[in-house]
Amino acid sequence: MIENNVTNEVKSLPRIGSVAPEFEAATSQGTLRLSDYKGSWLVLFSHPADFTPVCTSEFIGFQEIYPQLREMNTELLGLSVDSVSSHVAWIRNVQEKFGVTLEFPIIADLNKEVAQKYGMIMPEESSTETSRAVFVIDDKQIVRAIIYYPLSTGRNMQEILRLVKALQATDEHNIATPANWQEGDKVLVPPATTDELANERMNDDSIECIDWYYCTKKL
Amino acid sequence: MACVNEKGQLSPAGKKLLGSLAVESLTTQDISKNSGLPIFKVRSNLREMLNAELIIEENNQYKISEKGKQILEKNNLDK
Repeated sequence: MIENNVTNEVKSLPRIGSVAPEFEAATSQGTLRLSDYKGSWLVLFSHPADFTPVCTSEFIGFQEIYPQLREMNTELLGLSVDSVSSHVAWIRNVQEKFGVTLEFPIIADLNKEVAQKYGMIMPEESSTETSRAVFVIDDKQIVRAIIYYPLSTGRNMQEILRLVKALQATDEHNIATPANWQEGDKVLVPPATTDELANERMNDDSIECIDWYYCTKKL
Repeated sequence: MACVNEKGQLSPAGKKLLGSLAVESLTTQDISKNSGLPIFKVRSNLREMLNAELIIEENNQYKISEKGKQILEKNNLDK
C-alpha cells in the first residue's frame, strides 16, 4: 500500500494455527534462530524493558516454572527492545539482588525486527516498548496460543504452565480441556459430529455424559 | 560468538561439545542427549562451529575438523 509516498507494508501477524515466523536474533546466549527449537515446544514472550519492576517479577516467575516446562520438552525465550549488554547486566543484577539465575535466553531486539514480525508492539500503548505478549509454539513450529497483557500487569505463570499442559494433553489424547482445568482433572471428549456417534457416546461406559455434547473422562 | 571467540577460546559449552565430537561423529540429538544441553543450544553452537570450520557435517552427523582439533588442544593446554 503506498500513501503519500510512504510505503506501508501490510504484514499478517501470526495467528493460532499458523506457522511461527522464522527469525535469527542476537540473544543473551548467542545467536539463535526459531528453527533451532524444532522438536521442542517454545514459550516466546516479550517484556517492555530490562531493569523494570513488573518485568523483573515476571522473569523471576518464568525462571520458577522453567524446570517444569523443560520436563515438558518446552523452552523459554524472552524478548525486549534492549541490547545484549543490557540483558546481561540485568541477568547479573537479578542474580545479585534476588538470588535468581535466569537460565533461558533473551532476544536483544534493538531493531524491533522480531517484535514486528510477531505483533508484540502496541503503538497506542507504547511505540518503543514491547507489550507483554506470549506465543506458545509447538514442536512443529505452529503457533498454538497467544496471550497479550498490557505494560502495567504482570502475567500469571501458573496459567502459562497450565496452557502448555492443556495443549500437550490435547495433542496426546485428542481431547479438549474445560474451564479452569488442571492436570489430573477430567477432560472433555470432542463433541459427536453425527447423530449415530451421539447415540454411541451416550451408551459408552468409558465416558461420563451429561448429554451427547458434554462428555468427560479421566486421562 | 557464543561458543568460540575471535582468540579461539572456547566457552564451557563449546568445549564440551567439541570434545564430544573429537571422540566420535554424532547427530544433533546424540549431542543433546550426551551433553545434557538443550537442542536449541546444540544447534546454535553447531552452526557457529561449522561457520568457524571447527567441525564438518556429513549425512546429518557432525565430526571435528583438523582446525577444531587444534583449537581443542590449545584450549586444553590453556586450562
